[in-house]
Amino acid sequence: MPSQPPLPPLLAPYVSNLPDSSLTLVSSILGATSNWLVLRFLHAALSSPSPNVAFGSDELQNGTKKKVVLVSFMRSYEFWRTEAKRLGLDLARLADKQQFAFIDGLSELFYAPQPTATSPSISPAGLGSSPRTTLPMRSPPGVVPGRSPQPAGPTVTGVRGNATSKQAEPGIAKKLHFSGRGLASLDALEKDISSVIEQQKSSMEDGDELLLIIDQPDLLLAATGPSMGIGATEMSEWITALQQHAHATVLTLATDAPLIHNASTSGGLATPIETEHAALVIGLAHRARSVMQLRTLDTGAAKDVSGVLRISRGGGLNVSEESLEEREALYFIQRDGGVKLFGRGES
Amino acid sequence: MAPINLSHRRTHNLLLISKLLSLRDTASPLTLVLDSLEQPATPLLKEYIRRAKLSKVHVTLIAFETLKQPDGVDAFVSTRRKSPADIVKEVSAVYQPVAASNPSRRRLILIDSINPLLNSKRVDTGFHLPSFLGSFIAPTLPSAKVDASLVVTYHQDIPELPQQSPYSPTPISELTYLATSIITLHSFSHVLAQKAARDRSLAPPVFGLEEEQEGVLLGRLDRLVGTGKAEGIVIELEHRRKSGRGVLEWYLLPPASRYSPQHLKEIVTLLDDNVLYNPPMERDLVAGDEEPTSTFELGLTDRQRREREGVVLPYFDAQHNDGPGEGGRILYDMGEEDDFDEEEDEI
Repeated sequence: MPSQPPLPPLLAPYVSNLPDSSLTLVSSILGATSNWLVLRFLHAALSSPSPNVAFGSDELQNGTKKKVVLVSFMRSYEFWRTEAKRLGLDLARLADKQQFAFIDGLSELFYAPQPTATSPSISPAGLGSSPRTTLPMRSPPGVVPGRSPQPAGPTVTGVRGNATSKQAEPGIAKKLHFSGRGLASLDALEKDISSVIEQQKSSMEDGDELLLIIDQPDLLLAATGPSMGIGATEMSEWITALQQHAHATVLTLATDAPLIHNASTSGGLATPIETEHAALVIGLAHRARSVMQLRTLDTGAAKDVSGVLRISRGGGLNVSEESLEEREALYFIQRDGGVKLFGRGES
Repeated sequence: MAPINLSHRRTHNLLLISKLLSLRDTASPLTLVLDSLEQPATPLLKEYIRRAKLSKVHVTLIAFETLKQPDGVDAFVSTRRKSPADIVKEVSAVYQPVAASNPSRRRLILIDSINPLLNSKRVDTGFHLPSFLGSFIAPTLPSAKVDASLVVTYHQDIPELPQQSPYSPTPISELTYLATSIITLHSFSHVLAQKAARDRSLAPPVFGLEEEQEGVLLGRLDRLVGTGKAEGIVIELEHRRKSGRGVLEWYLLPPASRYSPQHLKEIVTLLDDNVLYNPPMERDLVAGDEEPTSTFELGLTDRQRREREGVVLPYFDAQHNDGPGEGGRILYDMGEEDDFDEEEDEI
C-alpha cells in the first residue's frame, strides 16, 4: 500500500487554523480511539512547512508559528513521543525549541511525590497507588521491571538544559498532582497547567498561536466524582478557565454508550458517574465549535476500515461569521501509522 | 373552516411572536428557551440581540458557557466562581449607570445556559430558583422601575442530577411552571423528515443522541443544506396570556444570512405557511381536470349523447303498471337486428 500523507487532505481544513478561542471536541469510544486524530492536530500545528506537504495545507501554515501544550491524562509521554515519531515529528526536539510542552497527568496524578521528585527511580511504596503506569506502551526493556514503573524515557537523545527541563525526565514539562478535594484541587491543577502555558507564551511573538490539547480530562471526573465535590459543572468551569489561556482548545472525551445514554434512559437509576459524564460531554458539545465523533462501523468490523469519523457543527459555532461543512468519512489506520480518510464507497 | 383558521392565526400569532421577540409591552417577563444539540439556541439568541439593538434595548448576557462577549451585548457577566447572590448583584450593578442616565430604557437579560447552575455542586441547599430568577425581573429597590425581560436557555439533553430532596419538583418543571412563554427549538430539516414519515404513517425518525447509537452525539444537521431550502429554525411557542389562556403555535425563523441586520419587517413566518412543510395543493386539482390520454376515444359526440338521453330505461316502464305481482315480466322489444333463436330462449 502506498504510504499516506501525514495529514489526509480531507481532514486538513478541520484540524488546522482553528479560530480564536474556539473549542473542538473529539469524542471517541472504546473501539475507535482518538489518539491518531490528536496526532493529526499536533502535526497540523507543529510540522514545519515543507514543499511536499499535502496540497492545500502548506501555504496556510507559513504565516504564524504555532505552539502546542499537550495535557494527557490517559497516555504517557513515551506513547506520544513514539507515535509522533512515526509521523515525522520529533517531540523532544520541539520541546527544546519551546514549540511543544507535554504535561503528564497520568503517571503521578494520585501519587504523592517524594521530596526528591527529580529522581527517576521511585521507591516501591508508590507502586500500589499507581498501577496504571505499569503498562506503558513500548517501554524500553532496559528498565528493571517492577522497580521503576515510570516511563522514564531514557531513549531520548539531545542536549537538554533550557528552561523547561526542570524535571529530570526529559520532554515532560510538568507532572500534575491531585491533592485535596473540590475546587481547590482543580485550582491547583489549573495553576500548574497555566504556568506551563505562560512559560510557552513568554517566547511567543505577535501573531503566534498557542494550541491547548487536553487528552481525556474525563478521567479526572471519573476518578474524583461528586463525592469529592467535583461534578460536570466544576469540570467545565475548569476547562473554561484553561481555554482563556490558549488560542484554541482541543478536548478528547469518551462517549461510550453507558457513559452517555444511561443517564437519560434508566430513569433516575443511573450512577453518579454516568450522569455527570453525560452532563459534561453534552454540555461541552453545546459550547464546542465543532465536534469530531469517532465510532466503529455500524455494520461490524471490516479489514480495510477502522471506523467512522463524523464532523458536526457544535452549539458554539458562530454560524453568521463562519461556516463549517459537516461531513462523515471512513478512516483506516495502516500498519505504519498512516491514516487514510475516504468517503463511503470510495477507497 | 381551515383557511379561516389559518388567516386568523396568521394575523394574531405573527403579531404575538413579533411582540415577544422584540420585547414590546413586556409581553413575556420570563421566556424559557428549550434547545438541544440538534438545534442549539444560538441563532435565536442572536435574533433577540439583533432586535434589541434595533430598538435600543440594553442587553445583558449572563454567561455560563460563553467565553467571549458577543457582538451587540452591552454588558457581559461572567459567572465563574460566583455564587447566585453575587451574580444577581453584578447584574443589577452593570445597569446602574444606564438606569441613571436613561430611566425609561428597557432591558433584556439573557442566560446562555441555566444547566451549569442547576447541576452545580457548590450551590448550597438554600438556593431557590424562583427567587433567583425573580430578582432579575423585579429588583429589590422599589424606586428603580425597570422594564426587564429575562430569557433563559435550558439544554434539554443534559441529564438532570438526582434531587437533593425527593419531594421537591425538578428544576425543569419549576422553570416551565414559572415561564410566561416557552419556546422549544427544532431543526427544520428534522421537522420535515418527521412530517414526511408521519404522512406515510411511519414512525418518525430520531436524530443525534436519541438514536442511542454508540459514539454519536450529533445527527447530521445539514443533510438538506445543499439545496438551501430547509435552513432555519422551527420555533414551537407556548405563550400564557395574562388571562390564563394559552396560545400554541409553530413558527419558522429563517437563517440570519437571509436578511440584513437592519431588517425591520417581521421575518418569522408560520410553519404552516412554508412551502416545504405544507406543499400547495393546487397541483393536484389541475391534474384532476386533465383527461387521461389513450388511443381510445372516451368522449361522446353530440349525436351519441342525444340518443343516450332518449333511451327509456326499463324501470320507468315498470312503474306504469299497477300493483305488485306483475314483477318478473321481461320487457323487451325485438329489434330488426335481433336474431330470434327458439332453442335458446325456451325455458
